[in-house]
Amino acid sequence: MSSFSQEEIEEFKVEAQELMDTAEKGLLALDQDGDFKTCFDSIFRSFHNLKGGSGMMEFLDLQAHTHELETIFMGFKEKTSIPKSYINLFLRGVDAARSILEGEKVIFDFLVKEDEAENTSPQPIQVAEQIEEGHLKIAELAPVIQEEQESQSSSGYEIPDEVMGEFLAEVEETIDNISKKLQLIEKKEYDKELVDNLYRDVHSLKGSAYLFSFHKMGDIAHAMESSLETVRNGTHLPSDRLLDCLFKSLRVLEALAIKMKKKECDEGFTKVVPVVVKALTFASGKLEKIPEETIAQVLSLQEEVAALLPAETLIQDEIVKLEEAVMSIPAQVTSVVKEKEAEGVSSIRVPVALLDSLMTLMGEMVLVRNQVLQYSNKTEDLEFSSMSKRLNVVTSEIQEEMMKTRMQPIGNVLEKFNRVVRDLSHDLKKSISLVIQGAETELDKSLLEAVKDPLTHIVRNSCDHGIETPDIRKQCGKVDTGTIIIKSYHEGGQVVIEVTDDGKGLHKDQLIKKAIEKGIITSAQATQLSDKEAFDLIFAPGFSTAAQITNVSGRGVGMDVVRTNIEKIGGTVELSGKAGAGTAIKIKIPLTLAIVPALIVKCGQGTFAIPQVKIEELVRVDPESENKIEMLHGSPVYRLRGDILPLVDLNKVLGQQEGSDNYGDRVVNIAILNAETFSFGVIVDEIQDTVDIVVKPLNRLLKSLQVYAGATILGDGSISLIFDVMGISKMAQLGQEKSKNKVEEDKGHKMSDLQELLLIKLNSPTKHALALNYVQRLEEFETDEIEYSGDERAIRYRGNILPLVSVNEQLGYSIEKGEREKVSVVVIERAGKLYGVEVNEILDTFSTIVEVKEPIKKHTGIFGNINTDEELIVVIDPFELIGKAFDIDGILPKFDSKLLDRPLGIDGRGGTILLVEDTVYFRKAIKAVLEKRGYEVLVAQDGKEALEILNKEYSRIDLIVSDIEMPRMNGFQMAKEIRKNPAYSKVPLLAVSSKADKDYRREGMNSGFDMYLEKLKPEVLLAAISELWPEERKAA
Amino acid sequence: MSSSGDSLVQRVEQLTTFYVGNELFGIEVMKVQEVTGNPQVIPVPLAPEFVRGLVNLRGQIATAIGLSELFAQKKSHDDLSEMSVVCKSEGNLISLVVDSIGDVVEVDGHKFEKTPDTVPQTLRRFVKGVYKMDGILLSVLDIETIFKELSTDSESTSGRS
Repeated sequence: MSSFSQEEIEEFKVEAQELMDTAEKGLLALDQDGDFKTCFDSIFRSFHNLKGGSGMMEFLDLQAHTHELETIFMGFKEKTSIPKSYINLFLRGVDAARSILEGEKVIFDFLVKEDEAENTSPQPIQVAEQIEEGHLKIAELAPVIQEEQESQSSSGYEIPDEVMGEFLAEVEETIDNISKKLQLIEKKEYDKELVDNLYRDVHSLKGSAYLFSFHKMGDIAHAMESSLETVRNGTHLPSDRLLDCLFKSLRVLEALAIKMKKKECDEGFTKVVPVVVKALTFASGKLEKIPEETIAQVLSLQEEVAALLPAETLIQDEIVKLEEAVMSIPAQVTSVVKEKEAEGVSSIRVPVALLDSLMTLMGEMVLVRNQVLQYSNKTEDLEFSSMSKRLNVVTSEIQEEMMKTRMQPIGNVLEKFNRVVRDLSHDLKKSISLVIQGAETELDKSLLEAVKDPLTHIVRNSCDHGIETPDIRKQCGKVDTGTIIIKSYHEGGQVVIEVTDDGKGLHKDQLIKKAIEKGIITSAQATQLSDKEAFDLIFAPGFSTAAQITNVSGRGVGMDVVRTNIEKIGGTVELSGKAGAGTAIKIKIPLTLAIVPALIVKCGQGTFAIPQVKIEELVRVDPESENKIEMLHGSPVYRLRGDILPLVDLNKVLGQQEGSDNYGDRVVNIAILNAETFSFGVIVDEIQDTVDIVVKPLNRLLKSLQVYAGATILGDGSISLIFDVMGISKMAQLGQEKSKNKVEEDKGHKMSDLQELLLIKLNSPTKHALALNYVQRLEEFETDEIEYSGDERAIRYRGNILPLVSVNEQLGYSIEKGEREKVSVVVIERAGKLYGVEVNEILDTFSTIVEVKEPIKKHTGIFGNINTDEELIVVIDPFELIGKAFDIDGILPKFDSKLLDRPLGIDGRGGTILLVEDTVYFRKAIKAVLEKRGYEVLVAQDGKEALEILNKEYSRIDLIVSDIEMPRMNGFQMAKEIRKNPAYSKVPLLAVSSKADKDYRREGMNSGFDMYLEKLKPEVLLAAISELWPEERKAA
Repeated sequence: MSSSGDSLVQRVEQLTTFYVGNELFGIEVMKVQEVTGNPQVIPVPLAPEFVRGLVNLRGQIATAIGLSELFAQKKSHDDLSEMSVVCKSEGNLISLVVDSIGDVVEVDGHKFEKTPDTVPQTLRRFVKGVYKMDGILLSVLDIETIFKELSTDSESTSGRS
C-alpha cells in the first residue's frame, strides 16, 4: 500500500487525538457515574474509529493496541458499570495509545483482561437496543465496505461513468424516499397508498440493481420487497421489528451505494447481505395478521405481540451476528466517515499559519482602509466618501470575524483536567471532584496553549497541597470530597480563570516561616508583611509550600513559573485564601495576544504605546493643581492621595532631550503604571488615544533594549514602539530591592526599624502605649464578669482565672469606680501565665521608627517615652506592672546588688556582648540598657545571624544575650550549635524571653543556656550579666 | 558596472551593488527583497547609533541600519539621496541604508579574494571578501554575518544603558 503524505498523517493524528480525548472523557464520565449507555457508546465508537483509522493510515501498532482495548471493552456491553480497575486499564490504554501515536514503542499490559473480561461475553440485548435506537452508524458499517480493497467491484459489466452516475443518483434518491416512507410508517401515519408507493420504490430499486448486476443491492432490495408483501396486501401490519430491519437494510444499501460511487469492491458485504435478508424474511414471517374488525380484537393484539417476544430475540440474535460481522472486520473508517461528515459537519480544519497570515493581511487592510478614510475626508466626492464609509464598516466587520477564527472555547483545555484530577485523587488517595464552569468561554488559541501548563500546575497544586485527605477533612468538619472549581468568564475585555478549592488554604504564618527558611525574605521584613504580600511569597522563585516534596508537585519551581508564564502573555495572577477554607487563584489574561489595547503617548518626537493592562490611572498636573510635582533629592515625586509616588521622566530615560526639571510651571501628564510590586508614574509629553494595537516583535538587534516590548503600526501607518513597563522601571532603577516600599526608602529608613506599638487610653491626658510584641490578645469584658478574691480582681477566661491589673492604679492615675459597663483588657503572657492588663480604652496600633527614650524620672512600669512630631507617648512596661501588682518578681533569681557596682574592666570598657533578638523594640531597648552600662553590643536578628557573627568575632565576644522565639533559628537551636563549637562553647549564654514558663526554662537549660530570664527590668538583666561574666575577663 | 558573465569558469554570483561613501559594496541578489527610496524612519531611543530606526514596509516592520554609521565612516552625503536595501534574515526584515544604488552585477569566482588584512576591523568583520572589478574593488557583505555580529554587539552593550 502506498504511504500517506505528511499532511494526511498529521490530519489523522489530530483526529486520533480527538478520538482519544473523547474516549477519555467518556471513561471519566463513567468513573463519575455518568450515564452508562451514552458513555459506553461514545467510548466504544472512539476506540473503534481509532482502530479503523490507524489501520488505514498504517499505524499498525496503534491498530493492534486499540483493537485489544476495544475487545476488552466490548466485554462490558451488557453490564451497567465498569469496575474502577478496568477504567484505569482503559485510561492507561488511552495514554499508551497516545505514546504509540507519537511513535513510541509501548509494551502495554492488558492483564486485567484475563480474569474478568472473558466471562463478560457480549449479550445480544444491548446490541439490539443499539440498533433499535438507530445507533448503528455508518461508521460501524464502513469497515465492511473497506474490508477487501483489492478485489474487484461485483458488477460484472463495465458500466459507462455517466450511466453509472445516473444510476447511483437514482439509487440515492430511492433510498431517501424509502427512508422517509418508513419513518411515516413508524409513526403509524400510513395508508394503503403510502405502503404501495414504498413497495414500488423498493421494487424499482431491486430492478435497477439487478439490471446493473449489483447483486448484493438487488438481494437486499428483493428481501425488503418480499418482507413488505404481506403488508402491502393488507393482510398484515408492519411490526416495529420489521421496520427496524428495513431501516437497517437501508443503511446497508446506503453503504453499498457509497462503495459503488467510489468504484470499490463490495466484497465486505458478502457476509452481511445474507444476514440482512434472513432477518428481513424472519421479521416478515412473524407478522401478525390484521384482525378482522373489532377494536377489542385490536387490543388483544398487544398480547399477541407479547407472545411473539421469543421470536424477537431470535431476530435480535441475527442482528447481533450482523453487528458482530461488522465489528470484527478491521475498520477502515476515516475516509468514508469524513465523506459523510462533510455534509453534516460545518467546520473544516485550517492550518494556524494560514490564519496568521490572514491576520497579517487583515492588519494591512485596516491600514489601507485608514488611509482611504483619511483621503476621503479631504475630497468633496460624495460617492467616494460613501464608498469609503462602507469599506470602513465592512473592514471592521471582517476584522472582528477574523479575530474569532482563532478563538477556541477554553473547555478544550479545561476538560483535560478531569483526567488530571481523577488520576491525582487516585494517586494521593484523596477524594476530589472537579467542577468546570464557563467552558464555552473563548480565547485565542495561542493563549489557550499558553495557559495550559500554568493551569495544570495550579490544578495539580490544589490537588496535592490544597485538598486534604478525607480523614483530615472529616476532622475539620468538611465533606469528604474536596471540590476544585475552575470558572472562566469574560470580564472587561479580559478572560478570567478562577481556580478555587475548598482545601486547607494558605496559612500566612507557614508561608512566612517557609520564606524565611528559604531566605526569600528576612525575618524583619516578615513582621511587616500584609496578608496579600505574604500570599505573594508563594510566587517567589524557589518557594514551595509542600512540607515534603511529592512527585505530584512541590519541586520548588512551581508558582513562580506559573506567574512568569502568565505574565509573559500579558496576564496577571492573584492569589487569595483563608486558612482552613481553601485557596482561590484568579488569572486574568487578555482575549488575544495579537491585539492589545494600548495607550498612545507622545514623548519627544516619538509616539509610544503602553499596554492598557499596565496602566493604573492617568494624572494631569497643571500649575494650578493642588498637588505639584516635588523634587526629592533630585528625583521628581508626586503626592498621590497622600502617598509618595516616584516619577520617571520618559524623556530622560530615553535620553531624548535635556528635559527641564522645572515641572512646576507647565502642564505635566503622568501615566501611573503598575510594575508588579509597586507603582510609579511616568511623565510624558502628551497623552493621546487608546487604540487596539497589533504587537510585532522587535528585530533581534533591538531585543536587548529592555524598555521596549515590541513595535506596532498605528492607523496612520506610522510606527510606534511599545513600552515594557518592567523594563522602564529597571532603566529608572526603581524597585531594585524587591517589594521594598518605595515611600519608606525615600525617608531613608529601613522597614526593619519599625516598631509596632499598641496605643491605649488611660486616665491621663498623655497617650500611653505598649509594645505590641507583649500582647497576646485584646479582650473586652462586662464589668459584671469581674470576680473578686480578696483585693484581687479576676475574670474567668478560657477555663482559667485571668488576674487583672489596672494600669491606672499601678501608675497612680485616678481610678473611677464602677462607672463603665465594660472593661478593655490587654491579655499578656508572663512566665506561662496570662494576665489581664486593664486600660480605659484600646485606641489603635501604630508603627514608628522613633526610638524609645528612657524616662526622665524613673517610674516602675514605665519603659520610656516616644517623642513623635505631634506628641509624647508614654511606653509602659507591662511585665513590670504585673510584677509589681502581684509581687511575682520574688520568683526571679536574686542578685547581689553589689554585682552592679563591680567595675567594668580597667579602661571602662565593659567588654562585648552579642545580643540576639528579632524584635526591634526589645533589641533597641536592651541594647540601650547594655550600652549605657558600658558594654559594647553586637546585634544579630536571629540565631543564624548570631552564629555568623560568632564565627567571625568569637574572640572578642564575652557573653551572649539571646531571645528564644526567633525566625530561621531559634534560641534553643542556637545554644546547641554554640555549645558544639569548641571555639566558643564556653561563652556564657543568657536567655531573655517573654516565654518563660517551666518547660521553656528547662529546655533552655538543656540547650546550653547558663541562665534563663524573663524579659524584665534592666537592673535584673545587668545583674545577671555580671553574675555570668567570665571570670578571667572580670579580672581583666 | 561591467559584467563578466561570459566566462563561466567557476560559480557565478549575482550581486546587488551599492555605495557607502566612496566604496562599492555588494550583497547576494537573492538575499535582497527590494530596494526602496527614502522611507520614513521612526527612531528608536536608546538603540545603538547605527540603528536608524524602524520602517513600515507595507505592514511589516523593518529595522533600518545605517551602513555608514555601522562602518564608522564619515557621512559625506545628504540624507535625501539615501536608498534602502531591504533584506530578510531569519524572519527579520532589515533595511540597509546606503548612499546610492549601483547595478546588479554578475561576478565570477576567480576574481574573488579574501579581505585584505589592512581593512580596518570595524569593516572587515562584515565583509566576506572582495571582487576585483574593472577600476574598482567590490566588497561583498554577508547579511547573516551582519546580523550575527550586531546581535552579539547589542547584547553585550545592553547591560550598560
